[in-house]
Formats: sequence, structure tokens, C-alpha cells
Amino acid sequence: MTEFYREYLAVAVLIGAALALVGLMLGVGKLIRPVRPQADKYITYEAGSDPVGGWGQSNVRYYVYALLFVIFDVEAVFIFPWAVGLEPLGIFGLVEMVVFILILVLGLVYAWRKGVLRWA
Amino acid sequence: MNPVIDYHALAPEIVLSVTIILCLLVDLFIPDRPRLVPQLASLGVLAAIIPVLTLAVSGTDVSMFGGAFVVDNYALAFDGLFLVVAYITLLVSFDEIADGDYYGGEYYVLLLTSVLGMVMMASSRDLVSIFIALETISIPTFVLAGWRKHDTKSNEAAIKYFLIGVLSSAVMLYGMSLIFGFANGTKLSVISEYSAGSPPALFAVAIFLTIVGFAFKVSAVPFHFWAPDTYEGAPLPVTAFLSVASKAAGFVALLTIIRFGFFNSSDSWQPLIWVLAAASMTFGNLAALRQTNIVRMLAYSSIAQGGFILVPLAVAGDVSGPSAWEAVLVYLMIYAAMNLGAFAVVMAVSRRTHSTEISSFAGLGRVDSVNAVMLSLFMFSLAGIPPLAGWFAKFVIFRAVFDAGTTAAVVLGVIAALNAVVAFFYYSNVVRRMWFDEAPEVVSSPRPASVALTLAIGITVVVVVVVGVYPEVFARLGQLAFASG
Repeated sequence: MTEFYREYLAVAVLIGAALALVGLMLGVGKLIRPVRPQADKYITYEAGSDPVGGWGQSNVRYYVYALLFVIFDVEAVFIFPWAVGLEPLGIFGLVEMVVFILILVLGLVYAWRKGVLRWA
Repeated sequence: MNPVIDYHALAPEIVLSVTIILCLLVDLFIPDRPRLVPQLASLGVLAAIIPVLTLAVSGTDVSMFGGAFVVDNYALAFDGLFLVVAYITLLVSFDEIADGDYYGGEYYVLLLTSVLGMVMMASSRDLVSIFIALETISIPTFVLAGWRKHDTKSNEAAIKYFLIGVLSSAVMLYGMSLIFGFANGTKLSVISEYSAGSPPALFAVAIFLTIVGFAFKVSAVPFHFWAPDTYEGAPLPVTAFLSVASKAAGFVALLTIIRFGFFNSSDSWQPLIWVLAAASMTFGNLAALRQTNIVRMLAYSSIAQGGFILVPLAVAGDVSGPSAWEAVLVYLMIYAAMNLGAFAVVMAVSRRTHSTEISSFAGLGRVDSVNAVMLSLFMFSLAGIPPLAGWFAKFVIFRAVFDAGTTAAVVLGVIAALNAVVAFFYYSNVVRRMWFDEAPEVVSSPRPASVALTLAIGITVVVVVVVGVYPEVFARLGQLAFASG
């Protein structure tokens, strides 16, 4: 077998391993679990509530607030490592972070101008 | 220990970023002047071309951020391509966005953000910066594909594009993480050094997964199934942008990663790209034959054209000179002009007929002969008929194939030649219907094409004709881009 085919053999082995793993997990589960069918068990599980008919009462506004939260989340993710390295970076680092925060705040300004922040 | 930053070399990115922020602010605080944002956006794109030109004239290569971001002729050539494509996309967008029930300002902000990612992509020489650039390109386009939000087809387009985009990113990231594990670095130069040794067989798996991720982005068969539905459902200017700019960016990423990173492991990537190229050309063309909607036809034809662009990549390892890389650049430039042109004419015509079915183009030669002539030129160029630019695109591909000269390369060349013949059928079918069939009933309420749309058709038709007659223009650009590399 040439070097060329041996390289692609690795790809084939990986695909085989991936399929075998899925088969193994489902197969072992099938073998060892007891089977006692009940109609209720075949209902789609959705956190304890009825999956059909009982639409949740969660307000669509929460979705927007969750999105806005991402602005501050991203800010925090980058500010922590930046704060550790601030001393050697000096004024340059400070200016860079101010620019970064200003660009992120633009997202909040956008939401504010579009009237998303009013709870009415 | 501040990082060294060359602001001249970063100027295209900075100009675009400032334009994006200004567009957003203008849209928010001066909402009663809707024409201001598009004007600002097109000015910003034109302004970003200026530093690309001055950098090209100065001619010194700049490497920043530990070699993760390099500005050289290669990057500048693609920057130029992306910015010109962005400008033409803006030109074809004005009417469509102003007429429809769309948010105006955000459209331009998202479009420019995607272009910013493309300009970054051309300079990226590190897996991390390539990935960030790719996501900057993709995420705004997910939203743009669903821009007609009251249209279920547009929603379908956005959802399909989003899911496939996320899936391809996941596959690609898995491959990249394996590469990082092997090479102990994300810089392409480090990976190139590593693959020059004798990497273990599992390294082929890493390359395989990474390239499959990119294959989704450039909609190569068998990873193409999202493209026709997304192209049909998205607003026409967005479709034009996706099938030209975003596709080209995917090819640039693939080209960069193969040229600077995987090149030494050509045994691993050449067969994969060979299969992708052959399958894309053949399947794309056969599916295009059966389409009755011109947008879907162009979608399948762009899959086939993508297959042609993969041909020089599939033989690149056996070509000693830069002719395979040059072929990719030249083909992308010509493809951009002819495909954007075709979409612009389809938009101009559909403003009158309110339809993109091929049957609605019947008899166009009598009703609107100027647009019929233009569309005929673009169709013949896409088919590769001299003296239009498309023939030169095909020519550089076959030159790369002959430079490689291996059996695999010649077989791929034969497949490409057969496909060029098949493609001629469906391109010429549109032309035949325009000139020889009877026009259907006249539809009411025509909307005239604006100056901007006409200008876009004008620019692209000039490129298609001039480059077809004087191909040296693009050939020289291709040589310059790869001269030092």
C-alpha cells in the first residue's frame, strides 16, 4: 500500500470510529435497559410542561434584553485579560480599550434609538 | 512593548470600520434623509480603495501581529477585488432596498461589515485570524439573506444558510483544533514547517476536515445543497453578493491556507480538491440544465463555476511556477464581473416584469434590446466564448492543468472541457429565448432602472469586453500578485 492511500486510510478509520461509537452507545443502551412501554413515555419531553397546546407565556421583550446583555458580556470577556496586561500596555492599551468599548456601546445606542428599551 | 502597528497598511480596514460606524449613527440620528446612508457607504468603499492603491505603489510588504496579518501584493490584489465588488453590489442595491419594505440603513451597515471581513481575510495568515475574518463575513450575510422578512422564502433562505454556516464552522474548527494539536501553533508558517517533516497519518484527517469546512462556504458539491434555496429566497442584490463576494472570500481563504500552510502535504489535499472540483462542475452544470428560474440557474451555474476555480487548486502541488495561484485570482476577477453583470441585468429586467422565471425573458430582444444585448454578452462570457472575458478565465485554468501535466491533472482537464460544452447549452438557451421567442403578455407597473443599476451594468460589461480583448490587463495583475511568493 502506498503512502498516499495510507494517509486516506486514516480518514476512513476516523469515519468508521465515529459510526462505531454512535452504534455502540445506542446499542449498549438498547441491550441493558428494561423495556416497559407506556403511552406517556412517548410524549416529547419538554421540561415537564405539555409539549402541545401549552405555549409558554414568556414575553418576546426578554429576548431583546438577552441580546443586549451580550454587549456587556463580550465587554467583560475582553476587559478581564486586558486588565491583567494593562501595565505594560500603558496609554496605548487604555486608548484601544476605550475605542473597543465605544464601538460596543454603539449597540446599546442603536437599541435605545430604536425604542427597544421602553417597556410599554 | 506596544505591538507595532502600521496604520498605512491597516488603512483600508480602518476606513471601512469608520464608514460602518458613521452609517449606523447617520441612520439613527438623521432618519428623515434615507439617501444619505447609501451615499456614505459607497463613498466609504471608494475611499478604502485609495490606501489599497497607495500601498500597491509603495510595494513594501508589511507583517503585523506576529505574522498573523500580512499586507503584501497578494493581499492587496484581493482587497482591490473585494472593494470593487462591494461598490458594484452597492450600486445594484439602491433601487431594490429603497423600493422594498426593508430597513434601509442596517442593510448597508451589514453589507459593509461583511466586506470588512473580506478585506481582513486577504491579509490573514493565521488560523485564528482566518476564522475571525470568515465569521465577520458570514454572520452579517445570514441576516441579509432573510432581509425580506415577510417572505417565507427569504426566511427559509436565512435559516438554511445560518444552519449550514454554523455546521461548516464547527467542522472547520474541529479540523483546525487538530492541526493546532499537531503543529503546536496556529500560524500558517508554523503549519507549513510542520507539514514539511513527516506528519502522522492523522494530520490528513485534520486537513480533510478543515477543507470540508471551506467546501461548505464555497458551496462545492457535495456540500452545496443550501446554495440554490438560499440564492432564490434572498433579495437579488444579496444573492449577487453571496454568489460573488462571499464565495470569492471562501476561495481566498482556501487559497491562503493551502498556499501558505498545507502546501507540503499535497498528497492529502490534492485528491480531496480534485473530487470536489470534478463533482461541482459536473453536478452544477447538469442541475443548471433543468432550471426554469434564472436565479436558480445562476445559482447552479455558480456551483459549476466554483468547480472550475477549484481545478487549478487541485493541481497546484504539481505546478512549479505560480500559474495555478494566478489562475484562481484571474478566474475570480473575471467571474465577479460577469456574474455581477448577469445579476444586475436580471434585476433591471425583473423591475419591469416582476418575475425571474426564464420564460419571462422570452422576446426580450424586441421589448428591451439594450438589456437583452447585455444579458447575451454576460451569458456568452459565462459560457467562455471569445472574445469575451470568460474565455480567458477558462484559458488560465487549462494552462495550469498543462503546467501540472500529471495524469490526474489531465483527466480533470478533460472533465472541465466536457463541462464547458454542457454549460454552453443552458447559457445559450437563455439567449435563444430572448431573441427567438415571442414576448409574453406585458405586465403592469414597470419600475424603471435607476442610474446606479445602469452604471453597474456598464462597469461590468466594460470589464467583460475589455478583458476579453486585452487579457494582458488581468494577466499582469495576476503576475504582480504572486511575483514575490
